[in-house]
Amino acid sequence: MGVQITGIGIVSAIGKTVAENLGALKSGRSGIAPVQYLKERPELLVGEVKIGNAELIDKLAINNPNISRTSLLGLTAAREAWGNSPHHSGIRTGIISSTSVGGMDRSEWFYRDFLKQGNPDYEVLLCHDSGNTTERIARELGISGYINTLSTACSSGVNAIMLGARLIQQDKLDRVLVGGTDALTSFTVNGFKSLMIYDDAWCRPFDESRTGLNLGEGAAFLLLENDKSAAISGNKTLCYVKGWANAADAYHQTASSPDGKGATMAIQKAIKLSGVGIDKIDYVNAHGTGTKNNDLSESVALKNVFGDAIPPFSSTKPFTGHTLAAAGAIESVFSVLAIQHNLIYPSLNFTTPIAEAGLIPVTDLITDREVNTVLSNSFGFGGNNSSVVFSSTL
Amino acid sequence: MVYISAASGITHQPTFKNAGFSASLDTISSDTELVSPNYKDYIDAGLLRRMSKILRMSVACAKECIQQAGEIHPDAIVVGTGLGCLQDTEKFLNTFLSVEGLLPPTSFIQSTHNTIAGQISLSIGNHGYNMTHTQNTLSFEHALIDSIMMLAEGDAHILVGAADEHISFLDSVAEQLDVTLPVAMTSGCSFFVLSKEKTDQTLAKLTAVETYGEIQKLEEHLNNFFESNSIDPARLDLVLFSGLDIDACGQVLHYLTSRGVKEDQIQDYLIYSGIYPTASAFAVHYAVDKIGQDPSLKNVLVCNCMNRRNLGLTLIQSVEA
Repeated sequence: MGVQITGIGIVSAIGKTVAENLGALKSGRSGIAPVQYLKERPELLVGEVKIGNAELIDKLAINNPNISRTSLLGLTAAREAWGNSPHHSGIRTGIISSTSVGGMDRSEWFYRDFLKQGNPDYEVLLCHDSGNTTERIARELGISGYINTLSTACSSGVNAIMLGARLIQQDKLDRVLVGGTDALTSFTVNGFKSLMIYDDAWCRPFDESRTGLNLGEGAAFLLLENDKSAAISGNKTLCYVKGWANAADAYHQTASSPDGKGATMAIQKAIKLSGVGIDKIDYVNAHGTGTKNNDLSESVALKNVFGDAIPPFSSTKPFTGHTLAAAGAIESVFSVLAIQHNLIYPSLNFTTPIAEAGLIPVTDLITDREVNTVLSNSFGFGGNNSSVVFSSTL
Repeated sequence: MVYISAASGITHQPTFKNAGFSASLDTISSDTELVSPNYKDYIDAGLLRRMSKILRMSVACAKECIQQAGEIHPDAIVVGTGLGCLQDTEKFLNTFLSVEGLLPPTSFIQSTHNTIAGQISLSIGNHGYNMTHTQNTLSFEHALIDSIMMLAEGDAHILVGAADEHISFLDSVAEQLDVTLPVAMTSGCSFFVLSKEKTDQTLAKLTAVETYGEIQKLEEHLNNFFESNSIDPARLDLVLFSGLDIDACGQVLHYLTSRGVKEDQIQDYLIYSGIYPTASAFAVHYAVDKIGQDPSLKNVLVCNCMNRRNLGLTLIQSVEA
């Protein structure tokens, strides 16, 4: 029994819909720009979703405005992925979101007031916990039952897809909306700055001169269905989730191992489970954050797995910024679009290969070949490594 | 079938390395404190210095649990946490909002929820599946469901647990929001080894776990749970119950008592664990310990309706049941 993807939704720095994101990917237009919405020093480069909270609340017709930006972005993408799917008592439906900051976008404002000993609004904290961000999305969509949230830093989004696929495969659910959402926060901006891996210039994944990442924000959801659910909903199959794996690097709390152990294991296991030949991977959407450590470790892992025959690969983070827990979901939607439209995206801002690895990512949009199978990687803090394989055929 | 091979807990009760603890518990008092082991027995002193409460609790508890299971190598590490690493989150908020210039990164690094499972994998050099569930009061149940699925997919042993830490800021939040709690908020963590095979060490069976978020049809969910697991509520020997909202809890209690569960078979566990989002993990440990002490206990249900919108049901059975 296959796990079908029958709906996708996305909001990111390069667009508020699937169509807008696709357009930007095709035209090579980055969404990273000097900060506009978050209160930070004006020259900070970030991948913001170009819409304020008030406008989002209005657009989404939210009744209770005590809601985090993380939920608002998530709901925007979740609604698009859900589309007009019917609620049906015969379809066991669930939702799995993922987030790393949860409601921190508002909690940090609360905390500013709290430290100033002003009159902070404690009600804001009701939206702080990560689980709440998902419950709000579920409530708005009318989903009850299996409602879950994962938080494994930058690999969260892929883990949500993996867990959803497993729940369908083990016949626990017929249909599950999976994805991730994270709002940009001063908490994470300052956090990555404290680690000294926030680039003041545009991030340059897989480039010798790379010095760090630019943070972004956004959300993406994918609707997964089994045959029974798809037959009832009438939704068309976009492609299939074929393989997945998660492995712990167990090397360092934040850094990836120089031998790319966890990443190698995740990629190998995901491809093996997919049953697709290693030579059949048409495109790798890399994690490629632009940090010294990740890109080298990931390059080593790609060499470990593919040897001299590394498929065309790129990082789309120079388009969106690093969206943390949403990244895996956003890049999975990009992978689905790559299969639907036979596209291989460029790695923007690349000029010189990393000396120790020598790998050259795709630098110009490729449109002249079939893309049937895509591998997407997401590697996170704490050594959480996840990979997922999408395919046009069962 | 899923077997519980080891159970360990660090809580406000003498749960750690103390089989039979369930026989001598006092109700949590307002000045309650975490009963901490000597962490240096489990964690390198250099590492320990940088670890917050939740991290030291979790790593020590996880290691002890693995020892108890006979030094097994878990195929996966699965953790549930409702609020994650609050101490480091609070610390980094304070730092970046009040310090100019270069900030120390440790509290940021350790603020993410997956630090718990990550630190455990680091401390035992484990490269397996590593997952963190955070669905407020149902975080632990979701970790259990994931673990049961991992066993069904072929894994032999899973280390699964839950942890939450109390910081005094939570008390001010409760006060400001006019939330009156029947017992104090506490910290706690519990870990278990779940195994595919039964051995001489097996403590109990983990028969079923279900979660219901944003509950709409309470009675239907309860009916389904008992039917799909072929158990008559009247056969339950003990129900470990949590509930803070009178209305929602009342409905669940009424369901159980009207189907043959006697009132004295229903026991509130929050009075022993104190309140934290993953307190149901304490309840599972308590159930396993009770089953070990009392051969007449066959079927124990942990009924978690601490949050009125969410219901978690965990059925634990004695090995003979």
